[in-house]
Amino acid sequence: MSSRTTRSIAHYLMLSPFMLLFAVFFLYPIVSGLFYSFFEWNASQTSHFVGLANYTKVFTSRNFEKATWNLLIYVSITVPLGIFVALSLALLVDSFSGFWAKFFRSAFFIPVVMPLFLAATIWRWIYAPNFGLLNTILGWFGMPSVQFLNDTGTMLYAMIAVDVWVSAGFNMVIILAGLKNVPRHYYEAARLDGASTFQQVVHVTLPSIRPVLFFVITYGLISALQVFDVPWLLTGSSFAEYGGRANALLFPVMDMMGRGFGSVRFGQASAYGFMLTILIVCVTAVMFALRKKFGDA
Amino acid sequence: MSTTVTPAATLSSASASIASRRSVSIATILKWLVAICVAIVAVFPIWWMFNVVFSHPGVPISINPRLYPTSLSAGLNNILTIFTETDYLRAYYVSVMYTLLTIIGILLFSSMAAFEFAQFQFPGKNLLFGIVMISLMVPKAVTIIPTYLLTVQLGWLNTMQGLVVPGLASAFGLFMLIQFMKSIPAEMIEAARLDGANHFQIYWHVAIPLSKNALITLAILTFMSTWGNYIWPLIVAPSPTMYTVGQVVGLFNAPYSHTTVDIVMTANLLAAVPPLIFFLIFQRQIVEGIAHSGTKG
Amino acid sequence: MSSLQISNAAKAYGAVPILDNINLDIASGEFVVFVGPSGCGKSTLLRMISGLEDITAGEMRLDDRVINHVDPAKRGIAMVFQSYALYPHLTVFENMAFSLTMARAPMAERKEKVERAAEILRLTHLLDRRPAQLSGGQKQRVAIGRAIVRQPKVFLFDEPLSNLDAELRVQMRAELIQLHQRLRATMIYVTHDQVEAMTLADKIVVLNGGRIQQVGRPLDLYDDPDNKFVAGFIGTPTMNFLSARVKDVAADHIVVSGLGGDTAAAGLVIPFAGFDPSIREIQLGIRPEHATIAIDPASAEGLAAKVTLVEELGDLTSVHTVLANGERLVAQNHGRRHSGAIETVVRIAADKALVFDMAGQRLRPAKA
Ligand SMILES: Nc1ncnc2c1ncn2[C@@H]1O[C@H](COP(=O)(O)OP(=O)(O)OP(=O)(O)O)[C@@H](O)[C@H]1O
Ligand SMILES: [Mg+2]
Repeated sequence: MSSRTTRSIAHYLMLSPFMLLFAVFFLYPIVSGLFYSFFEWNASQTSHFVGLANYTKVFTSRNFEKATWNLLIYVSITVPLGIFVALSLALLVDSFSGFWAKFFRSAFFIPVVMPLFLAATIWRWIYAPNFGLLNTILGWFGMPSVQFLNDTGTMLYAMIAVDVWVSAGFNMVIILAGLKNVPRHYYEAARLDGASTFQQVVHVTLPSIRPVLFFVITYGLISALQVFDVPWLLTGSSFAEYGGRANALLFPVMDMMGRGFGSVRFGQASAYGFMLTILIVCVTAVMFALRKKFGDA
Repeated sequence: MSTTVTPAATLSSASASIASRRSVSIATILKWLVAICVAIVAVFPIWWMFNVVFSHPGVPISINPRLYPTSLSAGLNNILTIFTETDYLRAYYVSVMYTLLTIIGILLFSSMAAFEFAQFQFPGKNLLFGIVMISLMVPKAVTIIPTYLLTVQLGWLNTMQGLVVPGLASAFGLFMLIQFMKSIPAEMIEAARLDGANHFQIYWHVAIPLSKNALITLAILTFMSTWGNYIWPLIVAPSPTMYTVGQVVGLFNAPYSHTTVDIVMTANLLAAVPPLIFFLIFQRQIVEGIAHSGTKG
Repeated sequence: MSSLQISNAAKAYGAVPILDNINLDIASGEFVVFVGPSGCGKSTLLRMISGLEDITAGEMRLDDRVINHVDPAKRGIAMVFQSYALYPHLTVFENMAFSLTMARAPMAERKEKVERAAEILRLTHLLDRRPAQLSGGQKQRVAIGRAIVRQPKVFLFDEPLSNLDAELRVQMRAELIQLHQRLRATMIYVTHDQVEAMTLADKIVVLNGGRIQQVGRPLDLYDDPDNKFVAGFIGTPTMNFLSARVKDVAADHIVVSGLGGDTAAAGLVIPFAGFDPSIREIQLGIRPEHATIAIDPASAEGLAAKVTLVEELGDLTSVHTVLANGERLVAQNHGRRHSGAIETVVRIAADKALVFDMAGQRLRPAKA
C-alpha cells in the first residue's frame, strides 16, 4: 500500500466522528422528517400514508393563520426596531473612547449573556400585574395597573421589548466591529467637505458597514422567524398551555411543537417544519438577491 | 476669495467657534445621559433579580420596591431553601454535565474535521465540505422534531447522551475552526511531518495548540448556547430526574406552580451565575468571537 | 555520509509538467545549490527529495536505496524552511527537541542532543525563550538547530535567508559555510540569488523551465556556460549578447562582422579551433568586464556606442550603452571614472568572447 492511500485513510479517520454524527443527527432527520410529513402519526404509533393531507391540514388550520399573522407583525417590528437600537447603541459606544467605551459596551452587552429562559422569566415578573415592577412604577404616577402579558393589546409589544432588550447587545457588538473597520480618512474627508455628524453617519458610516448590516439583518430575520423561547416562557410554558390569551403570542415554531408534543401529531409537525423551512430559505434567498443587487461595499 | 482678514471677520468666526463648542458640549451631555439610561435599562432587570433574592420576602413591593438589596440572610436562606427543598441541585448537575460534555464533544470532533478540511486535499473533500456548509442554512425548526423522534427510537429519552450527542452535529463550530485553521502555515505541518510526527500527532501537537484562541472562543460560545438551550432539554429530557436548570425555571413559571417570586428569582440568579462569571473572565473572547462570526461569516 | 542519485525524475501536477528529465548525482558531503528564476521548479525538486511531494516518474536513491516511496520522516532528511516553521507555542528547546519528542526519546538524550546543537549555533542562552522573543537571525539558527538535532544524512534548505536583511544574510552565509565544514553533511540549498549560489556551493545546479540547464562548480559555470541561459543567469551585470555574422572560418580562428550593426568595420578575430563552416549566424557573449570604454574615442578601434546610463560604484564603473542596431551593451571601467562623453567607442576582448548558436547553445572550440 502506498503512503498516499494510508494518508487518505488517516484523513477519513479524522473526519469520521464528525461526519458520522452529522449524517445520523442532521442528514437522516431531514430525510426522515420529509418522510414523516406524508404520514399520519398518532399515539398508537400506527402510521399510514396520507399524501399532502398534513400540509393542507396545517395550512388551513385556525392556529396556523393566527401564528403566521402574529409572526408577520412581530418580525416587521422587531427586526427593524432591533437593528435601529443596535446601530444607535453601536454609534453611541463608538463615540466614547478608552475606559468608558469598554464600560458601556459591557453594560449594553450583559443581557446577551443571560440565557433566554432567564431573560423571559425576569421580565415576566417585571411585567406582573399589581406587584410587578413596571406596574409599581406606573402606580407611583397614579396610573392603573396594566396586564402586560394578559391583555391582547399589549402582549406582543411587551414581548418585542424583551426581544430587543435581549438581542440589541449582540447586534451592537457585530456592528461595532464593522465600525472599527471603516478607515478614519473617510470621516476626515467628509468633515473637510463640511458634512455634519448626521450626514457622516448617513453618507459614510452606513454605506461602509453595509456587509455587516446585511449579516445582522439576515441573521435577525432568520432567528425571528423561528422565535420560541421568549413567547413560550412569557405564556403558559407547558404543552398544555401556550400561546397566551387568545393565542396572542402563538408563533409557528410554538404551534409546530404543540402539535408534535401536545397533541402527538408528528406528521403535521414535520409538515409544519418543512413549510417553515421553505419560508426561511425564501427569505434568505431574497436577502442574498438584495445584497447582490445593491452590491457589496 | 480675499486673503486679508478684517477684524470683524475674525470676531464672527471666533464667536461661531464658541457657539459650536457649546453645542458640542450639550451634545456630549445628552450622549452621556442616553448612555447611562440605556445602561440602566440593560443592567437593571438583573440587578432587580439580585435584589429580590436578597430582600425580606414578607415586605410588600409597595414598601420595598427592591431597588437595592436589603437582607443578606434572607438571600442565603433563599439559596439554602432552593437547594434543600427542591431538586434544583440535581438540575444544576445535569446542566453542568450537559454543557461540559457538549463543549468537549464539539471542540474535539469539530477540530478534528476542521483540521482536515482546512489543511489537506483528499478525494471527496469538496463534496463533504459542500454538504456541511449547506447545513448552516437549514433552520433548526425542520430538524428538531425528526431528531427528537430518532432519539426516542435510540432509547435515549431522559438520558445524558440523548441531551448531548445530537447537538454535536453542529456545523457552526466546524466552520469557525476551518476559517481559523486555514491560517496555519502549511510549512509548520510539513516540518512536523519531516520530524516524524504522524497524522494524529500533527493534529494534537501542532494544529490544536496553534488554534488555542479559536478553541477558547468556540468553547465559550458553545457554553453560552448550551447553558441557555431551553427547547431541546424540554422535549428530550421530560423526566424530573433529568431536568436542566432552564426547565426548572420554566416550571416555576407555570401557572399554579405556587412558587413565590423570591424562590423563582433565586433559581434564576443561580442559573445566571455561570454565564455571568464567564462573561467577566472571557469578555474579550466572547465579544470578539461574536463580532468575528458576524464580520467574516 | 550519504550520496544522492536522481535519475530521469519528473513531476507533473495533473497534466501540467513542472519538472522533466532530472538527472543529478550528489556526492556525500557536497554542498549543492539549486538556482534559477522564480517558478522554475527549485522548491518542487527539493520537496520531491524530502518526500513532501510525490515523484511522478523516475527514481531517487539515497545511499543506493530507492526512496521514492519512503515516508518523508524515514528518509533521514531534514529541511529548513523559508518561514522557519517554528512552533510559537513551544520554547526553543522544545522546538529543537520536537523530533525526539515524537520518537519518544528519553529526556536525557533530548537534552544532550539539543544542547550540543545549541552550542554549535550559539543558542544555549536562548533555549527557554519562545520564537516570538527571537530576532530573525536567531529564529533561522533555531530552525537549523532543529535540523541538526535529527542528525540527518541530507540537509535541505529552501531559501532560508530570504527573510533576513542584507547584512544578516552575509553573516548567516558565512555561518552556513562553517557549519557545513564542521558537520561534513550533504547539503542541498535552494535560492534564486546567484551571489548566494556562487559563494556557498561546491556545485551549482541551474534550473530553468523545469529542466536542468547545467551542473558544475561555480566558476566553471561562470567561465564555461553550456548555453545562453546559464551564461546570462550567472554574473552581474549580466553577460552581453551581440548577434554577428561569420565572415571567415580558419583552422584556429573565425572572423565575425556586423557587430552592433556596424557593417563597415573590418571584423573581429576570435580564437576558435574547428568551427563548423556551415554556421553563418552566431551570437557572441561578452561579459561586461571584457568590454571597456576607449579612452580616446577618436583614434580607438572598436564599436561605436551611445552611453545611456552610468553606474559609478567608486572602484568600478558600469557604462550602459546602445549600439547602432539597437542592441545593448554594458561595459566596465576598472579604477577609472567615466569621462561624461555620450558618443564613445567600446573595445571588446575578442579572446574572451563566447560563441553561441542562434538557438542559444554554446559552441565550444575543439580540444587541442
Ligand atoms: N500544488 C501545485 N499545483 C500546481 N502547480 C504547482 C503547485 N505547486 C507549484 N506549482 C507550480 O510549479 C512550478 C514550480 O514551483 P516551485 O515552487 O518549485 O518554484 P520555485 O522555483 O521554488 O520558485 P520560487 O523561486 O518563486 O520559490 C510553478 O510554476 C508553480 O506554479
Ligand atoms: Mg520556491
